[in-house]
Amino acid sequence: MSIEIKNINKSFKSKKTDQLSVLENINLTIEDGELVCLLGPSGCGKTTLLRLIAGLDQPTSGEIVANGEVVKKPSGDRAVIFQQYSLFPWLTVLQNVTFGLEMTKKGSKEENIAAAERYLTSVGLIDFKDSYPHELSGGMKQRVAIIRSLLNHSPILLMDEPFSALDMQNRHKLQAQLIGVWKRFENTIVFVTHDVDEAVYLADKIVILDKNPGRIANIVDVDIERPRKRESEEFIALQETIVKDLDMGD
Amino acid sequence: MLDNYRNKFIPLILPICIILIWYLITEGTGMVNPYILPGPITVCQSAWSLILSGKLLTNTLDTLYKVFGGLILASIVAIPLGILLGWYKTLEDIATLVISVLRPIPPVAWIPFSILWFGIGMFPAVFIIFMGCVFPILVYTIDGVKRTDKVLIESAQTLGASDWNVLKRVILPSAVPYVVSGLKVGIGIALMCTISAEMVGSSSGLGYMILTATSLFDPGTTVVGMLDIGLIGIIFDFVFTKAQDRIFW
Repeated sequence: MSIEIKNINKSFKSKKTDQLSVLENINLTIEDGELVCLLGPSGCGKTTLLRLIAGLDQPTSGEIVANGEVVKKPSGDRAVIFQQYSLFPWLTVLQNVTFGLEMTKKGSKEENIAAAERYLTSVGLIDFKDSYPHELSGGMKQRVAIIRSLLNHSPILLMDEPFSALDMQNRHKLQAQLIGVWKRFENTIVFVTHDVDEAVYLADKIVILDKNPGRIANIVDVDIERPRKRESEEFIALQETIVKDLDMGD
Repeated sequence: MLDNYRNKFIPLILPICIILIWYLITEGTGMVNPYILPGPITVCQSAWSLILSGKLLTNTLDTLYKVFGGLILASIVAIPLGILLGWYKTLEDIATLVISVLRPIPPVAWIPFSILWFGIGMFPAVFIIFMGCVFPILVYTIDGVKRTDKVLIESAQTLGASDWNVLKRVILPSAVPYVVSGLKVGIGIALMCTISAEMVGSSSGLGYMILTATSLFDPGTTVVGMLDIGLIGIIFDFVFTKAQDRIFW
């Protein structure tokens, strides 16, 4: 499912000034099955842009078209994986994972549970299916959240720095797993991050945002073959270029 | 192991001391006239005869019926209303002034009207209990609904949940701990209200028993009634604390 972002402006009312412009004149096309990273310093409006795509907020002007339809409100077609842990604490892992399927009434109960168990097995969480979220580590929680969205067959995954609270080792592991599932399910992924390394590792296309007000500073295509090696020359070179790019914005 | 015994024993020290001193100043030395304060042995004798005659049980049950009646009625009104007011900001704005004015009125202040409207018996007491618990339950429920984590609501929406399902599957379970706290506060108030209500407009229950015993020069029964209320309070508290432990979110 492709996403077209057309002339998006977003401003908030603030106490000091009348209007605080967060995003200005954003135009961007995200192709079906593409993995795009929105990269930028904090305060550049990358999370705001993601929320607009999700339909959780409305733009001040302009429109976002996902799969030919203007985004007006949140939908199961565009799952969001939040930076904060977002599992329902009163449901077990299995109940959390099948939540979306129940909401969209896809499949019978038995089919859903079987599918959920298959997915949980594939990320090594099957032993925790009857555990509650508070019994899981941060990395496990985010994996469950991702499985929950994948199982729902959301064609678009919107991810807001989902791995930022994890230690480096876990972060790298989950990034690799994300690439794995993305290849398998061919979702369109929009991934917000402030981590250059993460963006270069994951993205087909890196959209660099600038702040005050947030606008697109540059779009970088990443042609490095997967699986990407962090120590490879081209990886390091691209990382350096992007860091320089970001510095110029400041 | 030793620690365990220690922790169980320590809370008992003070009650034992109090009973000893109580015995010493009343039946032990006769310092205090039994009509001013009955001694522990008199109280035990009263308790025993009240248990044998079945009066203690009937009066306790009578009080509990009223407590639960009022509490259930208050829950039926306050929980759905609290969900509505917590969810629709406009409704809350409309209701907030009325709630703030009615809430601080002590439930016993409703006694005159309760007798005017419902006469004597079960109903005036239930009404007073209702007035006493409806506001804490309402306020806690509103708070619980409003405190639902925004991220959970948004997650549910992006997983395809309708507004109704967001309410049913996210907001309600998330508000449960607050509602239970509201009920816990409510039941404490209900117990207090019941006794007061029974002392005025009733012919049965522990409050009635306490008051009539005093005028019949039977202070032992009064003390038994008071301790019975304390015991009921502890049991409720224990049950609700257990319930809260089970709600881990």
